[in-house]
Amino acid sequence: MNELHAPYLIIGFSVAGRWGARAIRENDPGTPIVAVSDERGWYSRPLITYVLGGKSRGVDHTGLLFDATSLAVLEGERVERLDTINRVAFLRSGKRIFFEKALLAPGGVPIVPPLEGITERGVFTFTGKGDLEKMRQFLEEVHPKRVLILGGGFIGLKTCEAFMHRGFEVTVVELSSRLLPLMLDEDGSRYLEKALVQAGVKVVLGETVVAFEGSGQKLTQALLRGGKHLPVDCAVVAVGVRPNVEWLQDSGIEIRKGIVVDEFQETSKKGIFAAGDVAETRNFLTGERNVVAIWPEAVRQGKVAGANMAGTRISYPGSLPLNVLDLGGVALVSAGLVNPPQGGGFEVLVRKEKDEYMKVVLENECIVGIIMLGRIEKSGIYIRLLRERIPVTGFKERLLDPKFGLVNLPREFRKSWVEGVGVEV
Amino acid sequence: MKKIRIHEEYCIGCHLCEITCVVKHSPSGKIIKTFREEKENRPLPRVRVEEEGYVSFALQCRHCDDAPCVENCLTGAMYRDEKTGMVLCDEDRCMGCWMCVMSCPFGVAERSKDRTRVGSKCDGCVGKGEVPPCVENCPNEALTYE
Repeated sequence: MNELHAPYLIIGFSVAGRWGARAIRENDPGTPIVAVSDERGWYSRPLITYVLGGKSRGVDHTGLLFDATSLAVLEGERVERLDTINRVAFLRSGKRIFFEKALLAPGGVPIVPPLEGITERGVFTFTGKGDLEKMRQFLEEVHPKRVLILGGGFIGLKTCEAFMHRGFEVTVVELSSRLLPLMLDEDGSRYLEKALVQAGVKVVLGETVVAFEGSGQKLTQALLRGGKHLPVDCAVVAVGVRPNVEWLQDSGIEIRKGIVVDEFQETSKKGIFAAGDVAETRNFLTGERNVVAIWPEAVRQGKVAGANMAGTRISYPGSLPLNVLDLGGVALVSAGLVNPPQGGGFEVLVRKEKDEYMKVVLENECIVGIIMLGRIEKSGIYIRLLRERIPVTGFKERLLDPKFGLVNLPREFRKSWVEGVGVEV
Repeated sequence: MKKIRIHEEYCIGCHLCEITCVVKHSPSGKIIKTFREEKENRPLPRVRVEEEGYVSFALQCRHCDDAPCVENCLTGAMYRDEKTGMVLCDEDRCMGCWMCVMSCPFGVAERSKDRTRVGSKCDGCVGKGEVPPCVENCPNEALTYE
């Protein structure tokens, strides 16, 4: 059958797409959904580094499964073109799907810089199941010892953690003057760097790779911009991801940093929505428009998109950059605005211990950013205070206390938080 | 769904709920053995007494309706039990990504002692009796099950 009709079409069926489908199901139980995925089987993308590191047996995700009777999934398929006027999706296989409403959730793709030798055997990107399979095969066949990670951001360091955990010699090369420049501040980066160096990782900052060099079938060294050669057997290029939007070039859908959506996750074309790593949304704190490519926002955007597609009007409060990472036993959480601009009227609270670092950024008595490194317990409370814009007046001096908890909040918040509004005790 | 309710007016800060919880989830299930011999593998309490001045109360998982720990779990280890409506954790599937720690609006998800998995997720003492032991052993009804 080369033509399908889909009242609801979902393009890309990972976190955002699945939450979208679930929200459609909840709000419109009977109407069929067709989903298209270029992967086979549902799995959890972030798990690939845990599998590589030996912490997880597989990449399966046991949540978000669907009853097949309510949903048709075309796997290993790709939408090559979207006709937004006649509402047709053209698939690689030649199939055409006539849709009424669509959710675009094709995620992101790794950025591959045009470096000399980038196609050498032993140079990888690491964002999907396919990369994991290729890497495992490579490790088995070539037995590399020295691994270079290009990029000291989130994905680079998660990959670094996996190799560290397995006892490889790891070097992280980061262009910025510090690690995790977006998630941490200067001091936080230094704490993390110290922990990584102690764990045996070589950290090269303010540098980048300009070429990978190999001898025949084997990667041998990386040439750094400063002229230095680093001997390596394996390299992972983790300089970032970008929204997967090339296939939408002729669709007429407005694309800037990602697919532009309004607060209902609707694109510039009515009835066509977008969510997840592909969507450009408003930042909850600053109002700036950006792509926030993280799991929690993919969930929230997917839910909003799905509900609105099914006719239930709910709006997205805006994206909040946040994440959590564990590197060689050093855990860290970062959320919101952690590097406030100078002179912007921000108040910064800091607590430094030998192996712990904590920073809370306040604006008008409300939390707008937090870093917790070493001890991450109760970070969720601060993030909730941030999301609900609850003033910290009256308990500000307790925020940095390791014992800080719900007990420190004003009674009216505490009560309704623990039992729900209307059932306070 | 029955839930553990928290009554801070009655809490005397005795921490018996914590003790009971640790014992119930310890290898031996016996109080003296748990605290004398099982120091290494003694679990964390899944209920915590929060104290400040004269205020105290015992806090554990609230089994949120739209539970962020379930939504953000990278493996699906954190899930909602269809039968009881409780949020539970399949600890075999947890591999320590700490998304739940970051997501829990009550701050009750903690890393286990060995930092390999979440170690403080209240399981409502599923299959361990009708009324959870922390409630049963509370001397002043600061925890109730209703």
